[in-house]
Amino acid sequence: MPAALDAIIAELRDADRQERIELLIDFAKNLPPLPASLEARKDAEHRVEECQSPVYLFVDMIGDRVALYADAPIEAPTVRGFVSLVLEGLNGSTPEDVFKAPADLVDQCGLTEVLGMLRVRGLSGVLRRIKREVARAAVAQHGSTST
Amino acid sequence: MGEPYAHPDALVSADWVQEHLRDPKIRIVESDEDLLLYDVGHIPGAVRIDWQGDLQDQIVRDYINAERFAELCSKNGIAADTTVVFYGDKSNWWACYAFWAFTLFGHKNLKIMNGGRKLWIDEGRPVTREVPSYPSTNYKAAGDGEAAIRAFRDDVSAHLKASKPLIDVRSPKEFTGEMLHMEEYPQEGSLRGGHIPTARNVPWNRAVNDDGTFKSVDELRAIYQKDLGLKPADDVIAYCRIGERSSLTWFVLTFLLGFDRVRNYDGSWTEWGNLVRAPIARGA
Repeated sequence: MPAALDAIIAELRDADRQERIELLIDFAKNLPPLPASLEARKDAEHRVEECQSPVYLFVDMIGDRVALYADAPIEAPTVRGFVSLVLEGLNGSTPEDVFKAPADLVDQCGLTEVLGMLRVRGLSGVLRRIKREVARAAVAQHGSTST
Repeated sequence: MGEPYAHPDALVSADWVQEHLRDPKIRIVESDEDLLLYDVGHIPGAVRIDWQGDLQDQIVRDYINAERFAELCSKNGIAADTTVVFYGDKSNWWACYAFWAFTLFGHKNLKIMNGGRKLWIDEGRPVTREVPSYPSTNYKAAGDGEAAIRAFRDDVSAHLKASKPLIDVRSPKEFTGEMLHMEEYPQEGSLRGGHIPTARNVPWNRAVNDDGTFKSVDELRAIYQKDLGLKPADDVIAYCRIGERSSLTWFVLTFLLGFDRVRNYDGSWTEWGNLVRAPIARGA
């Protein structure tokens, strides 16, 4: 698993309930804005449909490293915070490391405890979607470099 | 302006709330789908009541009991004669749900802030991150409002047999069975898609404007009374997936249109769609 994600999990896990809420709000605030070139490409193809709020995800490869960009509404701080957390934890990793991110990340971060089980299901979809898109981007890159 | 709502006292404007921020007889309550919204910033003086953590029993699939409801109210400085004003995200879904849950326990003097959280923020009204604390009260639950406003699965079966009106307030694709939840939501909750036979589909959002405020009484009548043919004296049961969107429809029919007997089937499609041998229908 990427070291950055590991550190985030540890920080959240060691926090109490209120600290976790504050951390998640900080993540939500710190989600970097989409580059202008991607802002124009917020279409159905880039929408994470597993998630209840409109989340848009873009995956790129810079050399052998994963570059992730995303947007999520300010009115949905839970989702925005989680997306931001995942981006910070995974950006700059290799695809192999991204695949190693734990599927029960939401739980490992102690967010199920904060948000309740009914609320967190959609969040796991964000991570699944990232893994799928990274796999696609890695294959596409590999394909193009080998020709 | 058209005619007033049947029970205009149940709905207040953002202006009204802003004028009553410091009124000790009034408690403002935020109830959201997204739990973090309250922490991000809320109406000054507002407390948070969470549909899941506060109102639902964490073991049995039911609401908390009267004792725990009394504790919840006492802790939030709500007395039996406090006017409680609810607001929240998603066009007040969870605000209406909390209003309905408070009615289960017999609390009177409940209101919804028209337009909810979004309108308040959009209008640039004050928000704070400061969590207020109020002297606790000695709340005693007034009584049992459940029979009047809550339907269980046997009530729904009886309704079905008696051909009484059932309203399914979910999105058209959930109604037909194409989806198990709204579009773009995780598809979860039931093993079967479809609707309760004889139910008519009137998605909840037909009752609200784009800014989250409720439509006028004339527009609402056109939907529920003209198009659907319901009468205010009808015995109506509304349901959705888990009972939150149908709380909004329950509020609209009861307080804005003045229907006499509307019950919310909070077991909703997650219960009915999973019941062995319960009849279901698919398609439009």
